[in-house]
Amino acid sequence: MINNLIYMDGYGIFVWSSFVLTFLVCAVFYYKTRKTLKKYEKEFAIEIEKLSVERKKIALEKSKVASKVFSTYNKTF
Amino acid sequence: MFNFFYNSNIFIWIERVINFINSIFFALLLVALSFALIFSPPDYLQGDSVRIMYIHVPAAWIGLASFTCIALLSILNFIFKVKNFKLISKSIAPIGLMFTCIALVTGSIWGQPTWGTFWAWDARITSMLILALFYFLFILTQKLISDEDKANKISSIIAAVGFINIPIIKYSVEWWNTLHQPASIKITGTSTIHASMLMPLLLMFLVLILYCALIFLMKYKTEIIRIKKNNLKRL
Repeated sequence: MINNLIYMDGYGIFVWSSFVLTFLVCAVFYYKTRKTLKKYEKEFAIEIEKLSVERKKIALEKSKVASKVFSTYNKTF
Repeated sequence: MFNFFYNSNIFIWIERVINFINSIFFALLLVALSFALIFSPPDYLQGDSVRIMYIHVPAAWIGLASFTCIALLSILNFIFKVKNFKLISKSIAPIGLMFTCIALVTGSIWGQPTWGTFWAWDARITSMLILALFYFLFILTQKLISDEDKANKISSIIAAVGFINIPIIKYSVEWWNTLHQPASIKITGTSTIHASMLMPLLLMFLVLILYCALIFLMKYKTEIIRIKKNNLKRL
């Protein structure tokens, strides 16, 4: 059973290389996308943090995105 | 008309959808892989090499569908000037390019045991390669041209011109003599693929669509944050 699954009547090398290559590329792409997102979230939260109290208040009140990212960042760190 | 497409409204939903996809993704992937690699039968002619179809065909579908979305969104953006359409197409493009390349590479691997060659200048393969080039040009334009309006106009033209290639890919197997077989799965009309192979194919397609949605949402979220970060400087 295991041997059949691995060798697939001689086609194993083609089938497994297709699947492994695809999932490897997908995993790397997922990792890179997630890393970029986290980097942007962190940078955005730090920029909000740097604002004066008044400006920070305006930014968080005016933008749902800013308040969401800022609260998530504060929870994480 | 396009109120839903305003950044803030969508942003709230993105996190929920990402969490939902994450919760079901690995279970679905396991089921789809079990069917694709173990439970589905080998082909009477191609043997077990037919299993490459479960990656190759959904990847090609996604490559084609992504470019169709990009072209339509670019045209809509031209007419309605909805900035979000540009963001959506910018987020879809890398996913489409990746799956077009996966379709080309897995097709090439499948070609060796089936046709005896990794590559042939067959109408379907060549038109898919042209699609990858259009994706590449679209992404390159967005990355290299710093003037956003100019980049938007040029990339829209690339998308509109590239859209002509989509029906060519679809009907290439009927218009020319190619190594590819005509479509086995038809939305209208009877499909010629057996249910024992159709189910794993649709399952793999579902898994890859969920993966695409996950990547798209993360990329789209990154784009929104990038814009909001620039707006913050104007405060």
